[in-house]
Amino acid sequence: MIMNRRSLMTTALTLGAMKAFPGLSFAQARPLVFATFTGSWEEAHKAVLVPAFRKANADAAIVLDPMLSVDQIAKVNAAKANPPIDVMLHDPGPALVAIGQDLVEPYPVEKSAYYKDLISEAQEPMGPAPFFQVVGLTYNPEAVKTPPTSWADLWKPEFKGRVGITNLNSTLGTGWLVEIAKMRGGSEANVDPGFKALEELKPNLAAVAANPGALATLFQQGQIDISPGNFNAIQILKARGVPVEFVAPKEGAIAFKTTIHIVKNSPNRELAFKLIEAALTPEVQTTLMNPPYLIVPTNSKVTMGGEIARVLAKDTAELKQKFVFQDWKKINEQRSAWIERFNREIKI
Amino acid sequence: MGAAPASRDVTSYGMGLAVPLALFFLVFFVAPLLQLLWLSLHNDTAALHWGLGQYLHFLTDPFSLSVLGSTLLLGAEVTAVCLVLGFPIAWLYQRVGPRLQTIIILIVLLPLLTSVVVRTFAWIVILGRQGIINATLQSLGIINTPLKLLYTQFGVVIALAQVQMPLMTLPLITALSRIDSNLDDASCSLGAGSWRTFFKIVLPLSLPGVIAGCTLTYAAAITAFITQSLIGGGQMLFMPMYLYQQASTLQNWPFASAISIIFLLAVLAVVSVFTTLGRMSRGYGGA
Repeated sequence: MIMNRRSLMTTALTLGAMKAFPGLSFAQARPLVFATFTGSWEEAHKAVLVPAFRKANADAAIVLDPMLSVDQIAKVNAAKANPPIDVMLHDPGPALVAIGQDLVEPYPVEKSAYYKDLISEAQEPMGPAPFFQVVGLTYNPEAVKTPPTSWADLWKPEFKGRVGITNLNSTLGTGWLVEIAKMRGGSEANVDPGFKALEELKPNLAAVAANPGALATLFQQGQIDISPGNFNAIQILKARGVPVEFVAPKEGAIAFKTTIHIVKNSPNRELAFKLIEAALTPEVQTTLMNPPYLIVPTNSKVTMGGEIARVLAKDTAELKQKFVFQDWKKINEQRSAWIERFNREIKI
Repeated sequence: MGAAPASRDVTSYGMGLAVPLALFFLVFFVAPLLQLLWLSLHNDTAALHWGLGQYLHFLTDPFSLSVLGSTLLLGAEVTAVCLVLGFPIAWLYQRVGPRLQTIIILIVLLPLLTSVVVRTFAWIVILGRQGIINATLQSLGIINTPLKLLYTQFGVVIALAQVQMPLMTLPLITALSRIDSNLDDASCSLGAGSWRTFFKIVLPLSLPGVIAGCTLTYAAAITAFITQSLIGGGQMLFMPMYLYQQASTLQNWPFASAISIIFLLAVLAVVSVFTTLGRMSRGYGGA
């Protein structure tokens, strides 16, 4: 074949057109795409949420595409007119970013059968919270004989070189820093006291993990004995025989709303709504509350049981009283400056 | 198509065959790169205002520059370790029988057959507080308290050196096998000792392999996001993690693009130093 200018131009134009109008190549209908999180979230959703959704919706086709919140936002942002995702799952920080960038639709609250049963903190008109994530103190009961009771215990001299934290890339790291700041008189708008406290924590720091998942590995390797940790992550470790315990500090366990959203311009809007409805039902939330998932429910009709009732809260009233919710709108305003400051100041 | 076949220059076929790959590169490499460059030339995250602000921010910020510096230094350290440990293996390969050669090749290639994540996790187990090294040293009574190996620069260098070792050894083996073994004998018979033969004959002739190995190892080591973050932890910041933080966590794409472009240029500069050395060494080896 001889390449002449005409055939070259035709090829280039075709490729160019496919890039400019991605709709050309994806014109046909696709299944509902739900971007959950990786790891235990994916397992739980595959085993419980997806079957419940398919049962209620005549076996509608659904695909799980697990990825981090930030990657979901990047993907949707790259193709706003024809998003490759229909339902997004977000931590509080990224949820506000997605809303701010106009990537999600308001949740059709008046159509929803379950929205009004959610506890008030979970009722978010731009996308309700079907689950809470809870952050408290994690420790190795073989090395730490008296269970810690407060965030302040991390500063105890007996934990010299035994404390692990994560950097601020994660929701956990950022939320924890805010809580430390609050403990020392700061707030979401002023984390200076938190950074001062971190400075004092340095002798105790054994590791600053790149992500919360790496903290789990550090417990397994005996690298650290105590750290702020995610309730669910700890239950998974515990189930695998790693000696770890979770305790809600007396200042209150930090609760993050995990919100679920319909993506703007989704071609599967109706099914997306149905999937979210399924996630809000007391049945799905009850199954997910039980072992091995132990995900904290947000529907007030769910009766708390098992490990969650034992360690966290027996009912909605106690939950509201023991959980601390943070103002992520305020946090997002300054988060990049904090990450920069953390990069510079925290060297061990 | 109408032209007489006899009159056509046969070399024109070469261009035609290269077109698919060239197009592929144009669409999937050059175009995104240009997009990256375009994005980096904006002062705001919405990419509305043109300007060199992102570059100025990076180049006038001692912290950002120190991240770049420590990343380039990390690459140099890993490359040095790989060279020092890899050369003897390649040298040995030339001097053993075929059966041992197979075994050596297998050992060299084995790391490439497992995923980087798996290899890196193995290093967490080795370097941890209760890991193999600390447990051995403690049971021998050499140390009382475990050494801190994980989450240190030392740990990152060692782990990266193992992970990237095949990229150094394979070019070295190729280069060394091209050297005529008669040259060794000739050097010996002319009265040179083994060390002198090594430094005057073997090393200069193997330089192209050394350069190729160094370039590959260096480029792979500084961009190894997984190993750097798992062994280095969250407080040791190298360029790939810095980039990820800006692009993914902070959604600051223009600054992330500027970081990528600066990183790309820095790496190109280092690689071109290697290539220049390689060109000089070819002249030296041929002399």
